[in-house]
Amino acid sequence: MFDTSIKLALTLSQIGAVMGVVLLTVAVLTLLERKVLSWMQDRMGPMEVGPYGVLQPVADGLKLFFKEDIIPAGANKIMFSLAPILVLVPALIGFAVIPFGPNWTIDVMGVEFKPFVISDINIGVLYILAFASIGAYGVILGGWASNSKYSLLGGLRSAAQLISYELNVGLAIVGVLLLAGSLSLVEITEAQAGGFWNWFAFDPVPFPQFIAFVIFLIASVAETNRLPFDLPEAESELVAGFFTEYSGMRFAFFFMAEYANMILVSCMSTVLFFGGWHAPLPFLQAPGMFAWVTGIFWFTAKVYFFLFLFFWIRATLPRLRYDQLMRFGWKVLLPIALGNIVVTSVLAYIFPN
Amino acid sequence: MKLKKWIQSLIFYEILLGMKETLKHFLKYRPITLEYPHVKKPLPENYRGMLGLLRYDDDTEKCVGCDLCEAACPSRVIRVVSAEVPGEPTKRFAKEYYMDMTRCLFCGLCVKACPVDALGMSQEFEWAVYDKRNLQLNKEQLLAIGDRAFPEREKRLEFQHPNVAYFNVSFKDIPEKEF
Repeated sequence: MFDTSIKLALTLSQIGAVMGVVLLTVAVLTLLERKVLSWMQDRMGPMEVGPYGVLQPVADGLKLFFKEDIIPAGANKIMFSLAPILVLVPALIGFAVIPFGPNWTIDVMGVEFKPFVISDINIGVLYILAFASIGAYGVILGGWASNSKYSLLGGLRSAAQLISYELNVGLAIVGVLLLAGSLSLVEITEAQAGGFWNWFAFDPVPFPQFIAFVIFLIASVAETNRLPFDLPEAESELVAGFFTEYSGMRFAFFFMAEYANMILVSCMSTVLFFGGWHAPLPFLQAPGMFAWVTGIFWFTAKVYFFLFLFFWIRATLPRLRYDQLMRFGWKVLLPIALGNIVVTSVLAYIFPN
Repeated sequence: MKLKKWIQSLIFYEILLGMKETLKHFLKYRPITLEYPHVKKPLPENYRGMLGLLRYDDDTEKCVGCDLCEAACPSRVIRVVSAEVPGEPTKRFAKEYYMDMTRCLFCGLCVKACPVDALGMSQEFEWAVYDKRNLQLNKEQLLAIGDRAFPEREKRLEFQHPNVAYFNVSFKDIPEKEF
């Protein structure tokens, strides 16, 4: 009983810490995106709230919190309220299996406790993919429940896009799974220990997964509805796509879910292709007791690099047309991903590690 | 050649070029933004802003109530109610002077039409109001705009050119001719 309560308290505090960091990062990202985007476009971005606009996320949050919560006439109230939750919760729940630091086990009053992984389950990758698919339900339901043709169109387009690109995400990961021999994200990270030449994106033997990484990146940009694949949102065409009718905190939920998904996808590409908490060169990793400091540092640095990449791509590329999106997903990415699996598995059979 | 193009499309060459360009702008951060309420753009010399009524340097109004501005105005902004100066039958002034700035198109024809240069266009343009009735200005408001936009005032006409007879100049203050 005592053990159970301690385990519960530890796990809950861990979850609280991770959620806090993730939501804080979401707040930072909303500012960072506007700043990075405007710097790339020779603008200044938000400058009014606080010095250089650093308090803008606070102002945005307060504004959204106090806005009127409108439910359109004829909307399905239950589904309309459920949709933002269905989008946000899967986005946040995925962080449960992400290893942020070294896979240590600490003994706290007779209870085994892993400080940097909330739960190391042996189907971690499948778990994240499954919850990403549930997020698509929120998008479709939100579009349908709004009783608006624009929302419905946005929702349908999102559904088609998410389903098409989920496939590519899954297939791009398969190569990594073949090399690591596990679905657990902790074991996948540990298989990439010791320098960047061991990371799956660059590992020359049996086959570098860089192509798979590019496919994963493109497909995950499409999964998170970011430019150039932001057809579900498409400000200039569909008003705001599936969340046209949402306002106030419900809108904020969709918004937060988008950014939380971005962080999750960045974490995933870090863990799967870029060695998770491992430093690019072995001597950059602190020895012994302090390995967790450098571990978390390198993990955060890699995640922020991918987040920057998201903004960078957004600042560079225009939106794709719908048929281009579908053609690219099914006729280009899917065959390459399948070919990658074939080549990887053959080479992994010939040159086993 | 074909092989080169094929390789370029394989490594997303055009996209990488575009990303290089955006990164260049990101690293050499030179914004062209003018933070408007804090920093204002210098206006050209002949900018035509809010209209104002002017005064002479002895605080008397320039306007002689001739209605020529009303006649010149293409969008019927101006309404002048002219009257005699009390006690001076030869002299007239604008008893009431109204401008409906909701209609004004800032063409400056009234300023051109005025025979005594009683109207001036200031450089003010920040006149957004919550109630459009606030843009229907009366004489006092127009004089206030003129006062703050044109602090340098002219002398009365009779002191500018002492030997010349002028329209609407009463005779009592004219200095004697010098021989």
